[in-house]
Amino acid sequence: MTIEAINAQLLRAIGVGVVLIDIESRRTFFENDTFAEWFGASEGGRPLADAFPDLDPAAMLKDLQSGKRHDIEATFRVRRRSMTVAVTFSLATETDRQIVVAVCQNITRIKELEAMIDSYSLMVERNTREIRREKERVEQLLLNIMPRSAYDEFKSLGIVSPRRYDPVTVLSLDFSDFSRTVLENDASVVVSELNDIYSAFDRIGEQFGCERIKTLGNAYIAVSGMGDTSANHASAAASAAVRFLRYLRRRNETHPIRWKCRVALSTGMVVGSVVGVRKYIYDVFGPAVDEAERLMSFARPETIVANEPFAEAFGERQGLRRIGVMDVGGGRSMAVFEVSEPEAVAAEADL
Amino acid sequence: MTQSKFEQYGGFAVVSRIVLDFYNRLLDDDLLGPFFEDVDLPRIVDHQTKFLAMLLGGPAHYTDEQISRLHRHLDIRGEHYDRMTALLAETLRDHNFAEPDLNEVIAQFEARRGLMVGMAP
Repeated sequence: MTIEAINAQLLRAIGVGVVLIDIESRRTFFENDTFAEWFGASEGGRPLADAFPDLDPAAMLKDLQSGKRHDIEATFRVRRRSMTVAVTFSLATETDRQIVVAVCQNITRIKELEAMIDSYSLMVERNTREIRREKERVEQLLLNIMPRSAYDEFKSLGIVSPRRYDPVTVLSLDFSDFSRTVLENDASVVVSELNDIYSAFDRIGEQFGCERIKTLGNAYIAVSGMGDTSANHASAAASAAVRFLRYLRRRNETHPIRWKCRVALSTGMVVGSVVGVRKYIYDVFGPAVDEAERLMSFARPETIVANEPFAEAFGERQGLRRIGVMDVGGGRSMAVFEVSEPEAVAAEADL
Repeated sequence: MTQSKFEQYGGFAVVSRIVLDFYNRLLDDDLLGPFFEDVDLPRIVDHQTKFLAMLLGGPAHYTDEQISRLHRHLDIRGEHYDRMTALLAETLRDHNFAEPDLNEVIAQFEARRGLMVGMAP
């Protein structure tokens, strides 16, 4: 077998489609077996437009004459399959007539893979978005039960270690005549009203850096000074307390249930920690919490009372009126003060 | 967390080959091929990728309502579904799926028969 014969055989049997085109007549005069398999056999060649319907011959010739190759992609159907070939046209120079060689590569598999990657990427992107949304929901939920600083620790370490906060101001609030309110009203109405009120307290507290720790029936407990060690935790808590009272007064003007609360502000030390393994509760405990509870008995409806360390942190202001002495255990006692609303608001200048 | 079959059998890198293989078998099949006659390539591939990802517990989730809506316009009969089941089993077997896993996937597919068969108006 001569080299020419081998070449001819190779050209016919090679896995890429090879077509030779006569420029003058714009017809193919050789099509190898692979090309014939894809496009059907043609006796004596076929017009260029039949072989490559998507080809712009003028654009091809322009490219070829300026020494470049010309590439197109053609998609067609072979039975039920979509088939895509990449065709490269180049000028053959070593012949006595000008011919164009078209080499067709089957890139169907690449197209299929591209389509699959597109499809898969979209699925993954959608899943990622869903996971992100879910994560935000979980984050919101956890931020409802613990302060951000504790949440950040929980997120990076998986635990929240107990932490001492000293000094902070504990704001403890409860509603007067709560049992009567519950008895006299529909349970769902009471719950919905409490939900409204606590949400408003949360918003107000947030403005003053006073973070809700928990609610327990008619008791609402928040702490100021835990997020960042603020020197003004007492003023911040007092401001939030005044806003709570004002909010309720305004709300009572338009609602059937008249809510009246009293507030105790207790400055001192607390420990904050997540309690529980499966059912997380972030809680605070310590002297400032105990004292806030004891202080409550000194508070009349719609007033704010505070302990001695609060008075020291709050500063020597006219608005603090000494109203009694409370026993703080271990034979010790402590002065109790009532905080006037205008004074608490005036103290906001320090915030 | 337990691994899905999608992860267990090599994730997208492996499942993509199964998808293409399955897709080729479908197109070659004279009973099922005509369903894909006029559908363009990216759509068939998208369909098969999601279909297999869903059955193998990959990142595709379809509600029953979606599946039924997507197939409502097609005249899918019992024999089509049987053939699809057979082709799926054959493909997974050829890709070395363990028999219990294969049965589980097929059972999942079978569970959706009512959503696709006999839905045409």
